[in-house]
Parts: sequence; C-alpha cells; structure tokens
Amino acid sequence: MPHLAALLRVARRLAAEPTSAEDLVQETMLLAWRGFHGFEPGSNARAWLFRILFNAFYGEGRRAQRAQGWRAQRAEAHSPASTAVDAKFQEAVEIAEALQALPIEQRGVLLLCVVEGFTCQEAAGILNVPIGTVMSRLSRARQELRTRLAPLTKEAYR
Amino acid sequence: MTDDELDQRVRASILAEELDTAPLERSIRAHMGRRSMPRWAVAVAVGIALVAAVGLAYREFISPPTPPVCAAAAHDHNHEVANGLPREWLSDVSAIQSLAAQQGIPAEAIIALNATGYRLNRGRLCFLKNQIFLHLVYTRNDEVISVYLRRRDPDLRFGPSIHQASVDTEELAYFQTDQLTAVFVDEQSKTEALAFARASLHSLMVAAL
Repeated sequence: MPHLAALLRVARRLAAEPTSAEDLVQETMLLAWRGFHGFEPGSNARAWLFRILFNAFYGEGRRAQRAQGWRAQRAEAHSPASTAVDAKFQEAVEIAEALQALPIEQRGVLLLCVVEGFTCQEAAGILNVPIGTVMSRLSRARQELRTRLAPLTKEAYR
Repeated sequence: MTDDELDQRVRASILAEELDTAPLERSIRAHMGRRSMPRWAVAVAVGIALVAAVGLAYREFISPPTPPVCAAAAHDHNHEVANGLPREWLSDVSAIQSLAAQQGIPAEAIIALNATGYRLNRGRLCFLKNQIFLHLVYTRNDEVISVYLRRRDPDLRFGPSIHQASVDTEELAYFQTDQLTAVFVDEQSKTEALAFARASLHSLMVAAL
C-alpha cells in the first residue's frame, strides 16, 4: 500500500498516541478509497493523501488531545537514568521531544517540508493555507527547534 | 547550525525510525473489504429508523389508528342523521329486531341497549366499507346517538375495552364483545358517546352477548 509508512510517520507525530495515529491513517486510507473519484489523474497522489490525513486530523478534533500524554511517556521511557544510551539515540529522543513541543501548526509544516520533502507550495495546498503562512510557520519551527536543540548540540559534540 | 544542517538532522532522526505497517495495512484492507456504508448514510438510516419506531409506537400504543369502518360510521352518521338525508327507516321495535335477526344480531342486544336509558328511535341497514351494519338511532332528551351493530368481525383488532376517536365533528366510541361489533357516534359530545358505549357494553355483557 503506497505511502502508508510516510502517512503513519507523520500521523504518529500529530496524534496523541500511537493507536490514534494508526486510526488516523486507517481513516485516511478509507476516505481516499471511498473518495477516489475525487482524485485528479496526473496530480500528486502523495500530496492528495496527506491532504486527506490533515483534514481528517483537524476534522476529528484531535488537535485538542495532541501529544501531551505520548510525549510524557516517551520522555520517561528514554530518561538518561533508565538505560545506557548512546549519544545518537539520545539525540533522536531529544529531537522527537523538541518536535512534539512545537505548536501543531508549525509541527505539521515542518513534517511536510523537512521530513516528507514537500515544497512550501505543496504544503500550502495540503494544509489549505497561503504559502506565506507555510513559510513563516516553517521559519518559526526551525527557530524553535534550533533553540531547543542548542544545548544538546553543545553536549553531543563536546 | 544552518537550516540545511537542522533539516538534515531532523529528517535523519525521524526517517531512522522503523515502522511496521503490516498490521495496519491488514486492518485497512479488511475495512475496505467490508464495503461499509458511509457514516452519513448510517446516521440517516439510524435517524429514519428511530423516527419510524417512535411513529409506530405512537400509533400502536398512544394513538391507535381509527379503524376505517368506524371512520365510515362517523361519516354515515353525519349524512344520515345529522344532515337528515331522506332514507327509509323502521321505527317499530319488533320490525327492527327482526331486521337484526336477519343479520345474526340477537334480539336481546336491542333489548339490552334499551336498558341504557336511551330510547330506540329508528333503525335501518347500511353499508360501511362494504359490510352490512344495523344502524340504530337512539335518543335521550336532545341527544341523538347512532349505534352501528354487526356480528363480531375477527379482522378488527379491538376488543371489549372501549376505544375513543374523533372523526371530523363526530365523536366515536367502539368495542367488540364475543358476539358483536358496536360503534357509537355522537356529533355533539364525546362524553355522551362514551357514556352510552359504557352502558351498552355493560348491558351486553350482562346479556352474555
């Protein structure tokens, strides 16, 4: 099933917990399947799927229940005292937590543009917002991430 | 850290995550195989079913529909009695009893109804929904009430409890005993029709009809 992993990857960082992320992706694929007549042949199927994903996410009111619980669990599971972790793994955890700390609008843009490789124009189409909004959200997201990851960078590369 | 360096670190970190999508894919394919109705269609279907259920419950238990033959009696009373259309009536009680007997209605029924305090004024046969009824007109003071009698009709779904209904300006009361179907119509008073029906039911029960 094409693009399933990419959708799940993004959904896991939008939804409050892994199971609701899977529900979100399942809903996305079923909506796409039922509404396939609405897909324009020759257009970007991947962008179409992500548009459905974000519409489903916002439509279901998942915004209100975002990541708090999952983020806390992840932080606890990967606390430095619990296991001997190498610096690379520690960095992955810190990046994930920094990402989860972003406002959902900035996180969505960052996931689309940075992780999934969409252009700002494509992300604007997916999120149904002006391209200027996408660019400013992306800029703020990068700035926020940079601030949060700066101490880690100093430690990791000391 | 430049934007490119930051993006590369974030991308590398997230893309390194191993995802097992096989269970999710199986679940999605299973749902696709079900060809389930769209949610809005399910909601509409449930709504229609609820409305229908409430409507049926209301009709059956709160406001049962007036049997067509009873509604026809109300119209007949309006034409024949209230509007006084010229018809041939029998006024002799024994002649009416004889007419009743021809229809399988025991003479005791006529006698029983006379015990209610109303006086039999006249009678004739009539058709209500292609069924022959003995139409009797009873009076007391200014009250004029029509009584429609025939042998018990097993197709009618009401029994010995008295039912009430209003059809246009007519007030109805009706019941069935073991032997008879009786419909009472009064164009003035629901109370009077009901009282006469009660008295008649009592008299017919006493007469074991």
